[in-house]
Amino acid sequence: MTDDKDVLRDVWFGRIPTCFTLYQDEITEREAEPYYLLLPRVSYLTLVTDKVKKHFQKVMRQEDISEIWFEYEGTPLKWHYPIGLLFDLLASSSALPWNITVHFKSFPEKDLLHCPSKDAIEAHFMSCVKEADALKHKSQVINEMQKKDHKQLWMGLQNDRFDQFWAINRKLMEYPAEENGFRFIPFRIYQTTTERPFMQKLFRPVAADGQLHTLGDLLKEVCPSAIAPEDGEKKNQVMIHGIEPMLETPLQWLSEHLSYPDNFLHISIIPQPTD
Amino acid sequence: MLSISMEEDEFFGEKTFQRFCAEFIKHSRQIGDGWEWRTSKDCSEGYMCKTYFQIKPGTVVSYLGTSAHVQTCLPTEEALELPLDDFEVTETTTGSEVIKYEYHVLYSCSYQVPVLYFRASFLDGRPLALKDIWEGIHECYKTQMLQEPWDTITQQEHPILGQPFFVLHPCKTNEFMTPVLKDSQKINSLRC
Repeated sequence: MTDDKDVLRDVWFGRIPTCFTLYQDEITEREAEPYYLLLPRVSYLTLVTDKVKKHFQKVMRQEDISEIWFEYEGTPLKWHYPIGLLFDLLASSSALPWNITVHFKSFPEKDLLHCPSKDAIEAHFMSCVKEADALKHKSQVINEMQKKDHKQLWMGLQNDRFDQFWAINRKLMEYPAEENGFRFIPFRIYQTTTERPFMQKLFRPVAADGQLHTLGDLLKEVCPSAIAPEDGEKKNQVMIHGIEPMLETPLQWLSEHLSYPDNFLHISIIPQPTD
Repeated sequence: MLSISMEEDEFFGEKTFQRFCAEFIKHSRQIGDGWEWRTSKDCSEGYMCKTYFQIKPGTVVSYLGTSAHVQTCLPTEEALELPLDDFEVTETTTGSEVIKYEYHVLYSCSYQVPVLYFRASFLDGRPLALKDIWEGIHECYKTQMLQEPWDTITQQEHPILGQPFFVLHPCKTNEFMTPVLKDSQKINSLRC
């Protein structure tokens, strides 16, 4: 029987083979070859694409370069969403590699946040971690930590150091002995068919009678249209980290093992692919 | 500031917020202050919103006299003071612009507080950048904010509209509101 801790490693080391191609209207001094990279599912685009930027900038003139941004089939990619979430939500039904187009012009101000520096990514990441702890522990655990612990979470993510990261993150996954789980579960549910970017609500991992709530319970409460009626045909896939967990899985377990490094469960609802 | 008890009230946090907003908007209508209520498409949540236009005076440069360089501060408007010279002064106003501000007040269920989202753009749609916003912060907040800019005002995705907005970090809502409330209490007590 696989140890639960192995799940943590599998989640951390998940990768998506990606092909980056320069947008055809970008002005180049010579032809730009596509660039291939294995992207970490748990990281952020602007954190892991320095090599991509350097590769394409080599064939461009300085004056034609401004802020880099990425797009998939016409949709600008939000760098502040984890890579694995973007892939599951937008491209999981297509064949690999994931084909991403690289832009250096015409930044879509209405759609994308700017990413002026690594500090911006760190600030966003830490802001998510803090929000997750506000939900799980009324911010008690994160506030008790020293600044260097916060820094260690970020450095662990930035440098792909599983042990360094989890040395601190394990404290964010604890709960008082007398409880059966966190106060509320940090989660966001994404669907491309809705106008809202995501659904997020207060939801307890344990019911009043002490029963553990499941993934199915969460969906029924927050997003009932996502799950098919019992005798109906399955319309959607409920995906986290590229897999479809059973709806009977306890939410508390999912939160402890399948959260992203920001401590949120990012759940994609996508149409069932028709083979 | 609204301080909502974290005990069993949390599920009613959103409802309490909506109640307070209804009162706020009623008062706003009475004084013509422009706040409105908007709901998300699925009507489960809502927020208050207000649009405000500000004329940002451009840089005034005068020739044949001392140059008057005027720094303006968003969003307050200070009276422009120009020196009255004996010399003949030619003035050109460059780039006098209208800036449109949109303010949204949403409820954060994670932090159980209202959160201020805002964005600013020129009339042609060009948005103001984060550094313009940081630079334009009112003097009384500037020092504090410059110590930890990334923890105070950042660009974030609007949770209902999905578009980039600037956000005053929820942890700071209380901190930033306190001086405002203190001042208004002073004014109210002077009235007696």
